Amino acid sequence: MRRTIPLVITFLIGLYPIFAFFVPHGSISGANDWLDSALVIVAAFALPLGTVNVVMTNTTKLKRKSRGWQYSIVLLAGLTVMAFYGLVGGTGVHPSFQWMFVNMVSPLQATMFALLSFYVASAAYRAFRARNVEATILLIAAIIVMMGRIPFGDMMTRGMMTPLSEWIMSIPNAAAQRGIIIGAALGAASMSIRIILGIETTYLGTGKD
Amino acid sequence: MNARKLLYVDRRVIYLLVAIGALVPIIRPIGLPTVPTKPVQQLFNKIESLGPDDTVIISFDYGPSSEPELNPMAQSILRHCFQRRVKVLVMALFPLGGVNMAIDQLQAVADEFDDINYGVDFVNLGYKDGAQAAMKRMDISIESLFPADVNGDPTKDMPIMAHARNYDDIAVVISLATGIIGEYWVNLVNAQFGVPVAVGCTAVSAPKYYAYLRAGQMMSLLGGLKGGSEYEKLLVDKYEFARELYEQPEIKITSAMAGMDVQSIVHVIIIVFIIFGNTMYFIMKRQEKAR
Repeated sequence: MRRTIPLVITFLIGLYPIFAFFVPHGSISGANDWLDSALVIVAAFALPLGTVNVVMTNTTKLKRKSRGWQYSIVLLAGLTVMAFYGLVGGTGVHPSFQWMFVNMVSPLQATMFALLSFYVASAAYRAFRARNVEATILLIAAIIVMMGRIPFGDMMTRGMMTPLSEWIMSIPNAAAQRGIIIGAALGAASMSIRIILGIETTYLGTGKD
Repeated sequence: MNARKLLYVDRRVIYLLVAIGALVPIIRPIGLPTVPTKPVQQLFNKIESLGPDDTVIISFDYGPSSEPELNPMAQSILRHCFQRRVKVLVMALFPLGGVNMAIDQLQAVADEFDDINYGVDFVNLGYKDGAQAAMKRMDISIESLFPADVNGDPTKDMPIMAHARNYDDIAVVISLATGIIGEYWVNLVNAQFGVPVAVGCTAVSAPKYYAYLRAGQMMSLLGGLKGGSEYEKLLVDKYEFARELYEQPEIKITSAMAGMDVQSIVHVIIIVFIIFGNTMYFIMKRQEKAR
């Protein structure tokens, strides 16, 4: 019974929006609209769930004095202070929350991202080698796209780089991206069908307490 | 010449050159020319065709890590909309700071215009969790999804909401996105509800959007700093106020056009290193063969 009831709920809730999509009658779509609203609320529960998980993982790390436990103190302190001001005044309007975001969170994250340019430069120098035909094609395409993204490219080639770079992005790149997107969509659809039909049950857990 | 030694050059040399390449154009801007491309022009033309009776959604679907690339884009699009008196619904569906980016950017740009009013010409609806679920819900009623704005004030009393009941009233959705939320707007809101969608994204996520752009599911794509600089260029060429604004030092320094100077130099450094590395690689192979 502990497994059957969730499976029945999943089957009905999963099937109903598909049914409502093809039968857009008022009597059907009313319940579907309610399900859409419920989905927003259910999705919101993922946030506290994630927070609980972060707190549990880091408190365990602190208790065990695992490697880098000092960082957990910083993380938990940041989480508590930000959450406090966020809950007291709302994330939008509380000046302390916004001040911390603009002056602490934002520069820290921007710095982390900016460091990428150094690593990318170093990695490109070491990894981009014309070792074989495929690597050479990749190398040439990369240089054209990089030149096409900057004004220098057009200045050096009388405006040829931007159209050439756009062609690479619009034709060979888009073709490859389509394959990836269609593959992922088919995978998601087949997984959804498996879950609705009760074939895939890993989301129910292992059954062990 | 010892090619092997040159091939395995200390990475700190590369870091130093990249740092110099990034710093010099900030201290002494070059002002390289910008040529707008078709995907950027399409969004500009779309907003040019809109007026005070039209409403657009600008969704801040990015966090601080993408700030240097997407903030200039957000500012120039907001300036364009406000200049055209297009009504703007601002929202955030990205959990890691999207709403804070929206507050920051909206405040900065709205202060530049004296004759636009909060709740009448624009509103910040704040953050809503469950991106796809929220997008789906907006087809029924935007107000029911956002009963209160970012300040907690009820939206039902705001005049702008009469122009934004659901997607039928929306002329275009502009998602400034990092991650997957931009794709949700395209493959859900455009595909199911037929709303034109434009995405402004980081350069690293631009390749995946070309598939949607080519398929006609997206009306426009602004890729990274380059996309942002092209939009600024179009704005500056068209409007006198923008020309004056982007001459102000505090705005000029953070603009995408100024950022393109840095990007250009760093790209050239990387390309030179790649060519140098490959030359050394072939010389080393020849030397080893000769031995």
